[in-house]
Amino acid sequence: MSSREDILESIRRNTRMRYEKPDYAQLEEEAVKYPDLLARFKEVMPQMGGRAVVLQKGEDVNKVIKGLYPNAVRIAATMKEVRCGEGMQPVTCATFHPDDVRCSGDLDGTDLAIIQGRVGVCENGAVWIQQDVEQRAVYFIAEALVILLDRHNLVSNMHEAYRQIDTGEYGYGVFISGPSKTADIEQALVLGAHGARDVTVILV
Amino acid sequence: MSTRHSKAAELFLKDKDLAAWHDETLWMVRAKRDNQSKQLPEWEHLRDMACAIKMYSNSHLDQLLLEFEKNALANGAHVYWAKDAEEYCSIVYNILHGHNVRHFIKSKSMLAEECGLNEFLEEKGIEVVESDLGERILQLMHKKPSHIVMPAIHIKKEEIGELFVKEMNTEPGNNDQTYLTHAARKNLRHKFIEAEAAMTGANFAVASTGECVVCTNEGNADMGTSQPKLQITAFGMEKIVPDRGSLGVFTRLLARSGTGQAITTYTSHYRKPRPGGELHIIIVDNGRSRILADKEHVKTLNCLRCGACMNTCPVYRRSGGYSYTYFIPGPIGINLGMLKAPLHYYDNVSACSLCHSCQNVCPAKVDLADQIYRWRQKLEDLGVASTSKKAMSGGMKFLMERPGLFGFALKNAPIANSLPRWMMYNDLNDWGKEHEMPKFARESFNEMWKKKKV
Repeated sequence: MSSREDILESIRRNTRMRYEKPDYAQLEEEAVKYPDLLARFKEVMPQMGGRAVVLQKGEDVNKVIKGLYPNAVRIAATMKEVRCGEGMQPVTCATFHPDDVRCSGDLDGTDLAIIQGRVGVCENGAVWIQQDVEQRAVYFIAEALVILLDRHNLVSNMHEAYRQIDTGEYGYGVFISGPSKTADIEQALVLGAHGARDVTVILV
Repeated sequence: MSTRHSKAAELFLKDKDLAAWHDETLWMVRAKRDNQSKQLPEWEHLRDMACAIKMYSNSHLDQLLLEFEKNALANGAHVYWAKDAEEYCSIVYNILHGHNVRHFIKSKSMLAEECGLNEFLEEKGIEVVESDLGERILQLMHKKPSHIVMPAIHIKKEEIGELFVKEMNTEPGNNDQTYLTHAARKNLRHKFIEAEAAMTGANFAVASTGECVVCTNEGNADMGTSQPKLQITAFGMEKIVPDRGSLGVFTRLLARSGTGQAITTYTSHYRKPRPGGELHIIIVDNGRSRILADKEHVKTLNCLRCGACMNTCPVYRRSGGYSYTYFIPGPIGINLGMLKAPLHYYDNVSACSLCHSCQNVCPAKVDLADQIYRWRQKLEDLGVASTSKKAMSGGMKFLMERPGLFGFALKNAPIANSLPRWMMYNDLNDWGKEHEMPKFARESFNEMWKKKKV
């Protein structure tokens, strides 16, 4: 018999009482909800070590990014333009597309990556990134990350977020909440363990 | 009455400053957990739900694992089943060997620790690099983790500074945590890029989608799996959850309970291999299916490996992870060790004051302290009960059953208050070790009651 059959047989032999699947509905109903999602998201991001910036009417997203990261030279962007309110704005401050590199290791040394967020979660500052380029390394290897997120795509909690997310054709997605961090040396919090040292979510 | 745990704890307590720091630091993490839990009015319902989902999934493993397998295969992954540690190690080795892998980067996995994966691979000539900072420090020091979430919690920055001078050419004497962390970032960046394969464990394996979910703060799992195109993910079968709705519950509890954060920085969902790459998934039993039949201990399979029970445990905080003989320390480790091999790991069951704090913070409601209590009742049957404890309990029973004698003993007990220290604190009195004896009151409650003083 294969190990697979052995294991399944052992599970069936040893399983005693079978418990029913619980219904999440009531818990999801009573889960924390924020009346002002935008205000809450701005408040929670610094707690996670990042920042949230709301793009004002008529403001150029490229100017905002350049203002936040004046020293960034090698800038990747996964999109050519971004929807801001009613209109589209071109993303012109980037110097290359992440899939232009020969291999993922060539992305090392990227100062800033501008990527698309899909859903923002107000209870914890997590933003869902659905892989939309072949080199997903760009989400992690860049020194700093700008996540562009439609301000209408904010939800209160993870229950709501999981109803909206998908992993798309690449079959990968990640919630990112603030910069990479560690406290492995004497519990001192240090930003920038392996991923981005600095994260800004721009709510467009 | 000394156990291997209490002897090892004595060693840990010799460095009084480190021991005090360890105690206070873990308590601080526990306080952060409390702070997080109090921000959510539905917190206790979340714990109830996590427990109910685990009770469902662990009692339907046959169905859920098959559903997972079907979906993972449809996603283009390879799926393997490993009965035990040896089979798991061999599967990993065969995948690596078949792809000529020489450099292998790993993110933290307690399953790999459980099965001795690194030693197995290194004997066969494959370089294994741990990428979690704490794990990397320990790997370079040839040490084992002392906590499941904060593996290097027992190491001082001065030791790490010295290690990095040798391993990463850092400035001698610079033990600043930020400086050292960024030196490791730079050093490991090359390891990620040169690796031919990456491996992760899994916090959750979702039956309805066939995806594996990994939670990290450092981003090491994603740095690894986004460089080489060969990915291996392995999980113990109790990591299966039914659907994404259940992830909504678990991701709200895991980091809040373990480290006192609202969520880990990265919660990564691996569903398909990368374009032109391969994804190999290994489902591991290694004794888990046997636990299903043990109704007194089956709830250990609810464990999310968050570490909250260690952070809150007064014994763990004051004795350190190395004082336990099983590779997972603290309340959950005591129980998992007993399920693995009771005659080998029974020393650990005394490392508990039955304060029940662990079971009150556990996000999946594992009845940790109740289980430890039940193991203690079995020590006699296992033939390993402590003879001195038995003699003492026998003496107490004799006294308690004779009210006259008990009254006499109590009346004369204050004599012990004025005995010289050397008579009270010596090798004959185990209660006097690392412990101040209480002062006996001049008058017992019974006497005060009779005199209507209370």
